[in-house]
Amino acid sequence: MKALKILLILLLLGGASAATVMYSGIVNVAADEPHSDIVYWLLEETREASIKKSAQHIKVPDLESPELLLMGGADYEYMCSSCHLKPGLEESDMSIGLYPQPPNLSISHETHQHGTDEELARKNFWVIKHGIKASGMPAWGKTHSDERIWAMVAFIKRLPTLTPEQYQVLTAID
Amino acid sequence: MKTNFIKTVGKIALILVPAITLSMNASAHDPKMHAKKAEKADCSKMDHSKMDMKDPVAVAMMKKCMKQSKSSMEKMDHSKMKEMDHSKMKEMDHSKMKEMDHSKMKGMDHSKMEKKKNKKANSDDHQNH
Repeated sequence: MKALKILLILLLLGGASAATVMYSGIVNVAADEPHSDIVYWLLEETREASIKKSAQHIKVPDLESPELLLMGGADYEYMCSSCHLKPGLEESDMSIGLYPQPPNLSISHETHQHGTDEELARKNFWVIKHGIKASGMPAWGKTHSDERIWAMVAFIKRLPTLTPEQYQVLTAID
Repeated sequence: MKTNFIKTVGKIALILVPAITLSMNASAHDPKMHAKKAEKADCSKMDHSKMDMKDPVAVAMMKKCMKQSKSSMEKMDHSKMKEMDHSKMKEMDHSKMKEMDHSKMKGMDHSKMEKKKNKKANSDDHQNH
């Protein structure tokens, strides 16, 4: 009985502390003020584990078709390039201003890739389709078919190898 | 008193109007950066000799440029070709026109055809066929 009372008091204290932090306004939510290292690490690990678990059963189609590159290229240019950049564009208002900073998908995977090509394709598909909460990444699956999202995944796979000239041709509108 | 009031309003307007106009145009960077324009593929820089046609990127680029070239041909406005210089068409090979089906020309309405003033100058006149 005594232990239950202590537990109840601890719960109440915990709730009151959380409410104080929430409503006092002491947490800075400004995007130009980075998280502390520990908060950043906690959020990043949580995000990566969640995506890995959710995407693990997604079947990856053949991503080598030229048609997929053409379809995905046009969508990438209009939906993604302002944040995730493109060959010849090293920064933009969005890539500078967003926090967490969107990954630069026009640079080689070798510097930031985790896992195999197939795991990366699964992860990219899931992220494009479902988005990421409170990060600025929208859920494109609400308005785009799986086929178009796979086309974007195919294009993103080849993006770091493209020159600005190749990018221009592949992403131009017919 | 009234003149002073008008002068003061005039001075304020002189300062405010340019200030408001300028502030409307003021921005941190060029607004053109935000304008997404539909660009056509620039196929002029494609170097076919360096292209590996087994590479999906090269194949995709070829497809895009061929499609664009085809669609621009289809969009050519033939009605604007009135000023074509027919005098340069002297070397038309009429011998290859043997298979023209004249039977289908029965319904031609000659009354709607503009008569040329100088028939001799036009070597491509149909009456000479």
